[in-house]
Amino acid sequence: MKKYFYEFLKGIIKENPTFVLVLGLCPTLAVSVSVINGIGMGIAATFVLLGSNVIISLIKNIIPARIRIPCFIVVIATFVTITEMTMKAYSPALNRALGIYVPLIVVNCIVLGRAEAYAQRQTVLKSLFDGLGMGVGFTLALILISGIREALGSGKFLGYTLTPRYEPAFVLGLPSGALLVIGLLLGFFNVLKNRKE
Amino acid sequence: MRETIRYGFILAVICIVASGLLAGMNSLTKSRIIAQAQTEEEAALREVMPFGEYFDPIKKGEDIIYYKVRNKDGKFIGVAFKASGKGYSSVIDTLVGMTEDGTIVAIKILNQNETPGLGARVAESSFRGQFSDKNIQGLANVQAITGATISSKAVIDSVQEKAKEIQKLIKDEK
Repeated sequence: MKKYFYEFLKGIIKENPTFVLVLGLCPTLAVSVSVINGIGMGIAATFVLLGSNVIISLIKNIIPARIRIPCFIVVIATFVTITEMTMKAYSPALNRALGIYVPLIVVNCIVLGRAEAYAQRQTVLKSLFDGLGMGVGFTLALILISGIREALGSGKFLGYTLTPRYEPAFVLGLPSGALLVIGLLLGFFNVLKNRKE
Repeated sequence: MRETIRYGFILAVICIVASGLLAGMNSLTKSRIIAQAQTEEEAALREVMPFGEYFDPIKKGEDIIYYKVRNKDGKFIGVAFKASGKGYSSVIDTLVGMTEDGTIVAIKILNQNETPGLGARVAESSFRGQFSDKNIQGLANVQAITGATISSKAVIDSVQEKAKEIQKLIKDEK
């Protein structure tokens, strides 16, 4: 049990997909304008990561090593599309909240990255925990980035105005602001890591 | 050479299985997805025409130009239509409810991808609420959002332009 817990936990801090592996920055830049967007993207990505990690690790033995990348892409894209169709047909409320993020996940390299680096050589159960941990780590990173951007860029948090006296710095809501915040956070976490060592 | 054929074969099998799954899923969910989209559209129409009960699409070919709105006694009370205008970084689609004499009942922003915190605020009620009960001739005094003149103008102009067009269509019909 302990080793599964480790697989889950490593995605949150030690191998955080955003700040340590530096994967999936494109969707991170795009959705981290507001915390609610960050949470939506995080949940959708976690679900896809879980599913794709489990499927890849189930079929790892029939995929030849030299053509694994196209196989992974087909599997992931199929899984995402089926999820999207199901959501659209049976859960319009969920689709309204997460619908716009799901097609973006197909191109999220965290999903392919975990299939390549982890799920293709690990057991199903371990891959499941890895996917869950990576998803939670990604979600937390998104909440942190979007929290900073929303608070300083529009003076709000989760849509509620924090203080009416603050004049928001709009640049943080723009793509350049996203790069700025992500860069500073990456530097900050690197300093922390170096201190520890 | 034999390896290449083997790889091609495996990849083909995976692709065939994947397309089979997708085709099956599509035929399972297609009708439900269309039905869901319709309920969603109806909910949006009710939002801009709260007293409307029946929404009859007026089509030109395949495209819906506008909806004729009747209340629950079947009386014609106005129209609902979509207007789109080029904003700062995207096309802004607006759904408009309007009475016959050209008074706007309410508007709803359907799609936009404007700058968050600036142009994206056109979807907030403080901006779009200003349209309610205004005649389309009097849209000039809708207050634009500070720092988002282009996005605000796009909504105002597209609504006004389309409204005039629809009004003319209704007149011609009579």
